[in-house]
Amino acid sequence: MNRALPEMLHCLNMPGNVAGGGGSADISVLERQRARMKWQQDQNFLIGNHELNVFSAQQLHQLQGSVSNDPGFAEYVTRAVKQDPGMENGWPDVGKFGGDDHLGYGACGYGNVSGFEMNYEAIARTVSCSPTVAAAISEAAVTETKGKESILPEKLNSAVGRESSKKRKADKNQNLKVVAEEDAKEKRIKGCAEEGDSKITEQNSSSKANISNNNNRETSTDTSKENSKVTEVQKPDYIHVRARRGQATDSHSLAERVRREKISERMKYLQDLVPGCNKITGKAGMLDEIINYVQSLQRQVEFLSMKLASVNPRLDFNTENIFTKEIFPACASTYPTIEVSSEMANPAYFQFSPVQQVVSCCGLEMGITPPDMALRRTTSAPVSIPETFLDPSCFNFSYARIFLYFSKSKPLQPGTLSYKTSIAWSFNKEDQQHFPLRHLQ
Amino acid sequence: MHSPSQLKRDFLKQWLKGLQMCSYPKKEMSILERKKAIKLSADVAMASARNATSCWGLALIANASKEGNDKCLVEHLLGQESERGKMASTFQLAILHKKLRSKKIIKKSCSVRRVKKLTPRMVLASSVAKRLVKNRTKVLKSLVPGGESMDEFSLIKETLDYIVSLRVQVDVMRCLANASDLLNCKGVHG
Repeated sequence: MNRALPEMLHCLNMPGNVAGGGGSADISVLERQRARMKWQQDQNFLIGNHELNVFSAQQLHQLQGSVSNDPGFAEYVTRAVKQDPGMENGWPDVGKFGGDDHLGYGACGYGNVSGFEMNYEAIARTVSCSPTVAAAISEAAVTETKGKESILPEKLNSAVGRESSKKRKADKNQNLKVVAEEDAKEKRIKGCAEEGDSKITEQNSSSKANISNNNNRETSTDTSKENSKVTEVQKPDYIHVRARRGQATDSHSLAERVRREKISERMKYLQDLVPGCNKITGKAGMLDEIINYVQSLQRQVEFLSMKLASVNPRLDFNTENIFTKEIFPACASTYPTIEVSSEMANPAYFQFSPVQQVVSCCGLEMGITPPDMALRRTTSAPVSIPETFLDPSCFNFSYARIFLYFSKSKPLQPGTLSYKTSIAWSFNKEDQQHFPLRHLQ
Repeated sequence: MHSPSQLKRDFLKQWLKGLQMCSYPKKEMSILERKKAIKLSADVAMASARNATSCWGLALIANASKEGNDKCLVEHLLGQESERGKMASTFQLAILHKKLRSKKIIKKSCSVRRVKKLTPRMVLASSVAKRLVKNRTKVLKSLVPGGESMDEFSLIKETLDYIVSLRVQVDVMRCLANASDLLNCKGVHG
């Protein structure tokens, strides 16, 4: 990480013998600055930087009392100061040269101090050529309380102003040119301030893929932007899509985007279908839940087929043929009622109705009065359900309710274990299924 | 989407038909055989009930018809007309498999050349997430019948379909199991 700082200083014709001043957070700023510098001319850069750096360093030296610096930073500052012997101590008045501009810059530069990044970029605009110190200044500004903001802009302005005045004293023509060009540049910066954000983020994404911070930010902005709208103008030949801020427009990424949106839409359906998926937002977590659910459903099929095989010595379901027809219309008719009751969240109604219906159908065939059957069956429900049937990922909610309900009721005749469990299961299932299934219809 | 109750009725019809066919040739079957027969006929019935729309159904039927024992059952179940469709689907699946396999080979050979420069400590969170997602899609592909020959997008669609039909299947089977249980209990008590 320390290689970045010496590199910058080499450009500035300074010996790169500086300890990591400013800390690790500078690096991202530095590299961003590097990207910015591509369009700055080298000469001005070198000249301007040297003196700017010096002066702002000295300015920092003055600020040291009010700024909490780490020792590396202080060392850097003092070294920077020492290395320019021919410095004047008299600070002429600021106001003459471009005071308005710089003050204006200070204001707009510090306009949005809330964002850490924005601070860096703002200062980058004001002091465009001294990245290291600018970063240091910005970091100092941020680490300090915001009360100091008012001081810093002024001092920065004065620093910039003094730099410019000093330059004028040293070498009139050249510095005027330099400053003028810097001024123009800064105006350009100001002009494209808005686009600069996206450019910066783009440059970041393109060139700084290695930095996890940036990448995470990029992915988060990408995902957040995915939710924003795309303006599409459909013409007969082409589909013009306006790219969102910070996103490329080439066909590959567009196709990617469309694909991703389709997949996320499908995942939303799945979220409705699979119980318990409402809280999970990530793709991996969702897939996990889906896998668990499919596996549990398959296991249930296995179990039920085993059970059916054990119940019937021969595979004859002919007798049941008769009343299965009754079962299904009954079950179908219970769906709307179950849904209503689910909204009412009334456990008693909930748990009586499905069994009542089913049993009543069978009861009709066998001549048993439905209410008696229902009562007997439901109240003889299991108080302790074997653990194997508790599938925590899917059926927590209704199982808890069932347990509560049945624990309150008085136990009557105990039925067979398998019947009990299947009844409990049917409670579970029926209230879970019909509600989400509605979404698909 | 058609209503689940309609689907249930279709499924049940097919299933019972299949079961009758199963029970006809052999009178005495062990419990495991019975279970297998039940499950198979249930699966096939489910798949045929959704035959036109689902890829997984076709795959399921294709898999089931590969084995000798079950082939005749499946054929009987589906009837003569759909057999041609079934053959076509099996052909298609085979072709798809081959395509996918060749795609994977090409991908692997290409990816070897590509060199990614990542410093070791900067393991991206996104790459970890991608890996997780990839593993899980692999598992899901193994769960859903015919899932291997699908890209991610259609896999999700097939999973949706499969989940719905599995639910229907479980529902119907449970109702039947309850009913037969009731019958037995009634028979025991009365």
